[in-house]
Parts: sequence; C-alpha cells; structure tokens
Amino acid sequence: MNNKPIACATLTALALVASAPGDAAERQINVPNLIMERCSICHADDLGRLVRISAQRKTPEGWLMTVVRMQQQHDLGLSDDERRALVKYLADTQGLAPAETEGARYVLERRLNTVENFSSEQFTQMCARCHSGARVALQRRTATEWERLVNFHLSQFPTLEYQALGRDRDWFGIATNEIVPYLAKNFAYGDEQWQKWKQTPRAPVAGEWSLSGHLPGRGDFNAVMSVSQRANDHYALELRGNYADGGALIGQGAAVVYTGYEWRGKVEINGVEMRQVFALKGDILEGRMFVADHDEVGADVLAARQDGGASRVLAVQPSYLKTGTATELSIIGSNFDGELVLPAGIKVEKLLSRTPGRIVIRALADKRALGTHQVKVGAAEGGELAVFDKLDRIEVVPPYAIARVGGNGGPAPKVDARFEALAWAKGPRGEYRVGYVPAKWSVAPFNEDAKRDRDVEFAGSIDAKTGVFTPSFAGPNPLRHLMTNNAGNLAVIAEISAGGKPLTAQGQLIVTVQRWNNPPIP
Amino acid sequence: MKPRTATLLCAALLAAAPVHAEHASPAELANNTAAPLVAGREYMVLANHPNNLSVIDLADNTVLKTCALPDAYGPGLLQISPDHRQAWLLNNRFGSIYGVELDSCNVIFSANMSLAADERTKSVLSLAISPDGKEIYTVQNPSRIYVDRYEVQQPRLAVYDTASGLDAKPVRTFPMPRQLSVMQTGADGTLYVAGPDVYKVDVKTGKYEVAMPILNWNRPGYGAPDVLNAWPVQTITREFAFLYTAPKFKDDKQDIASADFVWGIMSIDLRTGAVSVADFAPLTEVYFTGIRSPKNPNHLFTVLNVLRKYDIKEQKLLASADVGHAYYQASVNHDGSRVYLSGTLHDIAVFDAETLEKITTIPLPGGDQATNTAQVFIR
Ligand code: HEC
Ligand code: HEC
Repeated sequence: MNNKPIACATLTALALVASAPGDAAERQINVPNLIMERCSICHADDLGRLVRISAQRKTPEGWLMTVVRMQQQHDLGLSDDERRALVKYLADTQGLAPAETEGARYVLERRLNTVENFSSEQFTQMCARCHSGARVALQRRTATEWERLVNFHLSQFPTLEYQALGRDRDWFGIATNEIVPYLAKNFAYGDEQWQKWKQTPRAPVAGEWSLSGHLPGRGDFNAVMSVSQRANDHYALELRGNYADGGALIGQGAAVVYTGYEWRGKVEINGVEMRQVFALKGDILEGRMFVADHDEVGADVLAARQDGGASRVLAVQPSYLKTGTATELSIIGSNFDGELVLPAGIKVEKLLSRTPGRIVIRALADKRALGTHQVKVGAAEGGELAVFDKLDRIEVVPPYAIARVGGNGGPAPKVDARFEALAWAKGPRGEYRVGYVPAKWSVAPFNEDAKRDRDVEFAGSIDAKTGVFTPSFAGPNPLRHLMTNNAGNLAVIAEISAGGKPLTAQGQLIVTVQRWNNPPIP
Repeated sequence: MKPRTATLLCAALLAAAPVHAEHASPAELANNTAAPLVAGREYMVLANHPNNLSVIDLADNTVLKTCALPDAYGPGLLQISPDHRQAWLLNNRFGSIYGVELDSCNVIFSANMSLAADERTKSVLSLAISPDGKEIYTVQNPSRIYVDRYEVQQPRLAVYDTASGLDAKPVRTFPMPRQLSVMQTGADGTLYVAGPDVYKVDVKTGKYEVAMPILNWNRPGYGAPDVLNAWPVQTITREFAFLYTAPKFKDDKQDIASADFVWGIMSIDLRTGAVSVADFAPLTEVYFTGIRSPKNPNHLFTVLNVLRKYDIKEQKLLASADVGHAYYQASVNHDGSRVYLSGTLHDIAVFDAETLEKITTIPLPGGDQATNTAQVFIR
C-alpha cells in the first residue's frame, strides 16, 4: 500500500519543557562546560574540537533524540535538568532556520495521519519506511555526517538490509553512493538561511496574545494567552477563553522558546495536560496544541500578540453564514482599532460585545454575499467567512487516518481517530470552501476482506455525533478468525442533509496495532 | 492485504546493541537433561524463549528433554550435525554460535562472531555444517566501533573447526558480498549461500559464483522475484529451497499493473547441484515457508496463517487447513506422513500429511519461538 502514514520507530516521548517553575536548576547549568566535561571524552579530536557534534544542525526534538541515545546506548550520565539545558543550547547554537522547517513541521506538531509525499521515490523507500521522511528533512549535516548516519543505521540495525525494501536492492551501496550525495545536497550543513537567521533580531514574546483554534471533535475556541517572562526564553502562561459550544477554556503552564522561534509549551487546560508546538513568526504564533498522552487529540492554533503587535484579523468563528439565517459570529484578532466592515450583503443585526481581540455580532446574509470573504476591522483584514445558500458536497477530513487498539491491561493506550465533515458550495466563480459542518457518522467495511473478517463488528465504534472513532481492545480476540487482533479496514461515512437532500462522503480508517514506541519525532 | 500479515518485518528489526533484558520467566525445564536419544528414533529439535533447546520424540509427540542454553536467545537458528548427535545454533542476539551435545545438553563449542574488541558483528541467519561434520560456516557482518562512530565493514565467510571447543576462532576467513543469509552444504562440500542470488562457495579458497540467480533471474515473462528465507531447513529430500513471489506479465509490454502475481519454489538439489524453478499457485495468501513431501516431491506444504498442500506440476491446491494461530515453518517426517508447524508462540502443531487433519499440539516449555528453525532427524 502506498498511502502509508508515518511508520514504526523507537524512543519514548520526553518533555522538552520542565514543569513550571521547576526549571530554575536547568537555567543555572553552564552548558559549554557540561559538553567539555561529558561529551568530549568520546567526541573531541586531538585539537579538542567536537567533530561530530559541530557538524549537525537539527530541531529541539532532533537533539533530544540524539542526546537520549547517548544516555541509553552510550552510558552518558545526565540529569533531566542537564538534558534540557543541553538540548536548549544545542538547538539555539545548531538549530534550523524557520524556513528550513517549512513543509516538515507536521511531525513536530504530531500530525501522525499525514501521508508523506516526497518527489524522490528512492528516498522514500530507503529512508522513510521505518520513520517519517520528515525526521530526515529536519536535519542538516555535512556529507561526512550523513555518511556516518548511514553507517550508524546498518551497524545498529543489521537486519535492515534484509527486510522488504532492503533485500531487493544493494541497500548499503545505494545509501552510500546515491542517498548520501542527495542528502548532502538537499540538506546541507552550511545553509545560508541559518546564517541569516542567526543575525535576525528575536521577536518579543511576553504580553497578551489573542488566540484562535479549532479542535476536531469539539469545535472552535478562542482565548487570551498571557505570557510572562521568567528568564531568558522561559515563560509562564495563562489561558482564558471559551469554546464555541459555550464551555470555558482555562489553563496555565510554561513555555520555552528554542532557536528564537520554536515555541514548546506545556499547559494544563481544564485539568488535561497539553503540549504546544508553535512557530513564532514575529507577532504571530502558529501550530498545534494537543493532549500530552493522546497526540491525536489536538487543535490547530493561530495567535497574534496584542502588546506591541499589529492589528490583525485571525479568524471568523464559525467560518460560514447561511443566507437568511441570523447567526452569531465571533471575529478573533488583535489590537482591533476602527470599524468592523463586512462585505456587501451581510448585515450586522446586533453588536453583542467588543474587546481589542474579539468582536461578537449577530449577522444576517443575503444572496449578494454568496462566496468567500475576508473581514475588515479598521485597517486589518483577514479571516475567512463563507456565505452559502446551498451546500454542494462534503468531504471527510482527514481522508485517511490510523487508529490503534490499546488498553486491555497493556501499556499502550488506545489511539482514537477524529473525523470532520468539510463542506463546499458552488458559486459563479467555481467551488468554494464553506467549513466544518456537523454530520452524522458511521463506519462500513472498506473492502471485501474487511467484510469477510467482520471488521466493523470488531475494530471499534464511531460516535455518530462527534465523528470520534474509539478503537477496540488490544491483543488477540478469541472471537475472530485465527484469534487475530482487532485490526480493521473501515470506510468512514459522513452524512448531512442539505436542503432536505442527503450529502455523503467517505474516508478510510485503518485500525491497527499499538505503537510501542513514541519517539519525539515519529 | 491486512496489516497483520505484514508485521514480521517491522518486528524483526534487530537492535544490535542490547536494549532490553530478555524474558525473565524461568524455563520449566524437563529435569531429564541427561536422557540420551535412542538410535533409530525420529526427533525434532528446536529452540525458544527464554533460551531453551527442546528435543521432541516424534513417535509419541512428547518433549523428551529441554536443555538450557547459554547467553541470550535469538534467533535460535539450528542445524543438526551429520551424525545427528549435536545441534549447532546461531543465538545470543545473532552474535554467537554454539555446539550442543544432544545426549548430555553439554555445550561443546562456542564462538563469538566479533573477532576483535572494536568490532560488533552479527550473523544474519547464516550457519551451515560440512557433510563430514568437521567444519561449520557462517557469514559475519562486522561493524567497527570507534569511540564516536560506527563504520560498516565488508562481510566475511568464517570457517570454524567443530573440534575447537569453547571460545573458538575461525580457521579461515574470506571476504564476501553483503546481504548473505541462510546456507546449506552440498554432498560434495560446496557451500550454498543465499543473498541477492544464491552463490556457491568453495570453502577452501573463498571463491564464489552464482549458483541460482534470484534478483537477477532474468526469467522471460517475469519481473524480479521476492524471496523471504529465514529458515534453512535441512530437508529430508536434501534440497535448498526458496518460496518466491513474482509478477508474471501478460505480454511483452511487461506492464506490472496488469501482471499476475504467482507463488513458486526454486531450489538447488544438494546431492547434484541441479537447479529447478516452478510456479505452483497464484498469490492470494502469504506463506513464510514451503516444504516438499519426501513421499512425493511434487507435493508441497506451505504455511503462515493457513496450511496448504499443493500439487506443483498441476499447480493445484490439494488440501487446506486452519491452523489456529500463525506458524512460520513447516517440517515433515521421514516417511512423509506428518507435517509439523513451528515458529511464533510456544507450541508445535502436528497434521496428517494426507488429509491435513490436525493430529495434536505439542506444548513447549518456555515462551515464544520467534523466528527459530526446527530440524527433524533420525538418530
Ligand atoms: C561514551 C562515549 C560517548 C559519550 C560520552 C557521548 N557520546 Fe555521542 N556518540 C557516541 C557514539 C559511539 C556515537 C556513534 C553512534 C551513535 O550515533 O549512537 C555518538 C554519536 C553522537 C552524535 C552523532 C549522532 C548522529 O545522529 O549522527 C552526536 C551529535 C553526539 N554523539 C552528541 C553527543 C553529545 C552532545 C554528548 C554529550 C552530552 C555525547 N554525544 C556524549 C559516543 C558518546
Ligand atoms: C530499518 C529502519 C530504518 C531505516 C530504513 C532508516 N532509519 Fe533512520 N532511524 C531508525 C531508527 C530506529 C532511528 C532511531 C535511532 C535512535 O536514536 O535510537 C533512526 C534515526 C534516524 C535519524 C535521527 C538520528 C539522530 O540522532 O539525529 C535520522 C536523521 C535518520 N534516522 C535518517 C535516516 C536516513 C537518512 C535513512 C535512509 C538512508 C534512514 N534513516 C533509514 C530506523 C531506520
């Protein structure tokens, strides 16, 4: 199967952020001394240069994986504080420029249903079958260091060249003679972008941020995130806001900014521990916030800094209006200054509330407004608001997902899958996106095999209202043929009613076995 | 295809450095480790977790004895000496070879695959014994371990004298190509080694040539085959056999999308060196091993999630049986009346070779067999 999501790998998840305020000890550590003391025994050359360490650049998670391997495989002794301080230092001094992470951030954000698509089929088969290809794309090395990495792989995993996609080719020859030059060219160590980024002044972080987000299975939310600096790059956070369904969103925690832009937060929201993986782009923060031990449960987040930041419109919640139906809309942004201007055909029936980060109105649209629009507040313009009369089709998002059986006394918890129905409408200038709409959810066998093996019965169940699929228990199922486990291949079906006429769409859900290891970069 | 049929390859990713302790549960060892084997009787020998070697008496399908093996388990790949007195094992996480006297359970030979302190060496399923029992062969894949990096080295054929005792060193070594795995010796002493192709190696000089092409088979009308052979069974029919799957093209356009995928068996006759290749079924099910009946070499038993019996010439399915759970390896007894399934969990399933009716299950002391290799012989 080609559309295989990110594959198997090792190492357990480790937090990059200490529990606030327990990171004081971490900041006392003199990392250059620590490196000289702990790493140079193995890594310094005759001139005292740290040859290997200095010829690689990677993300905080990338450094974390390497340093943990030094601990686990090479008996390097480090306290948790020392490890965090070391990773911070290495990511700051030998990190990636923001542009170098473009297109590969989904692994950092733990979007594990992403189906990767690299232009090089050879690279995919050689380097993206055990772990994500993004793990590779998020590193920069000299040719020598890429070559040493290949040698590490085959020495550490001697059966690698005998497995499927290994034994059908001269794996080591191709890795050495073709993949190493490919990597040295496409992911070269001495990139200009990094030099430029090192010279770029760092954006201020402390102050109030206006935050908007969308959590599949629950819906839109917005909040104010107050950020106070505790030490260089270390911040305390407080969040206060609401879900669109009326529920409160309240939380607090801590964040560390690595490499001048890699925001890693650890917050407790309504009693649930969550992680934030954001990129800081000037006065904008963008990324994903997910449940710490259930990374499949997570929200896309976009935030703008209120203090000293620009005036911006970030989002309109909900993102659509049906003509003739008065609807409450929230316009989320920062430093609102000036008049709210809606496109022709949309009337503000009532202004319900207004703060510098949020305007709530009751709006009514007529036919003139059909299509998609940005919203203006003073000089700021942004967000997306679709006006529709009739929905034309829906699609299941994500179109392909993985759920994992779990529990049943085993160490691995179940991994849910969450689906949403994305609606589209037709206008004179073609099709346009309306947004996520409530749907009725069900599952069916994806193919003949799934039907024969009664996967629908065994693999788990979907909540008809929320689109959240909960897989079945782990381990062999005595009721199944060959006592196999509760794996399954299911069609996920969404149905809505558009003007009395049903619209349906289908996605695919693979229910498979537990993920035994949960490395910082899948 | 279901995800569950594809799990082996991911699970078999061997970490060369010890990571976790092996199963800690003590083996319920049969305490008659000194029970001698009886001449003329038929036995099966195999290894399993935590680190057992069990001898099964095939006359009554009972475990005669279980020997505790030294060091760590894995892969438990085993060969029987020509005099049927010793078992030779690749074990200790692919890192050591042992010789075990079956009558006494005594370890009479051991060799670490690493030949130097700065080397870490694994043998990936590669072990064979000479027809006179005087030498054993293995292909070793070394890496040099520097203080701050690893460097992959060229593989080598290592030849050991079986009389070298404990901590043995090779008597000869020769450079070899990569990706070599299972092997067998021919009646004339030729060593056959599977890799991208099957090579025949002169064990005196280290010279090798292709004996049976696999990747480079260039069979008209077919694409390149895929072969998974992790089970060097010393068959009663004396053949070195490989199940293959391959695309069979509809026409000269060699279009892979419209090709039929077939199962076949290719083999080397270890008595003569003759090579044969034959398709026997369309690819509808996954098998890990196949073995010919000694009664009728045109009959083939295949297994993974289901046990099947085929007529090779007629390309016809003769019988099929549910097996309860997956088994990796099929073996047969000398008169061809029984099929034994082993590999994975901790039992052996016994079937009637004629009807494929289940006869019994033999529980093994200890745990999982993983990818071991069982052998059947008459003492
Ligand atoms: C006891 C020896 C030892 C110590 C101490 C040690 N390392 Fe290593 N390191 C190794 C070995 C051996 C390798 C090569 C194998 C590997 O990559 O795991 C390595 C590899 C590396 C690599 C290259 C990894 C790659 O992916 O290519 C980096 C970077 C590194 N070490 C950093 C460090 C840092 C930082 C420290 C100190 C905090 C450290 N090491 C301490 C032995 C050591
Ligand atoms: C057989 C499975 C497998 C294949 C194939 C594979 N990798 Fe890996 N790779 C791993 C595992 C497992 C690790 C984690 C090692 C550790 O840290 O313990 C890893 C780690 C890595 C890392 C992180 C190392 C570090 O410390 O920074 C990079 C980068 C990487 N692989 C690149 C590649 C490239 C490039 C290829 C293709 C040439 C490749 N991998 C092929 C299994 C694989």
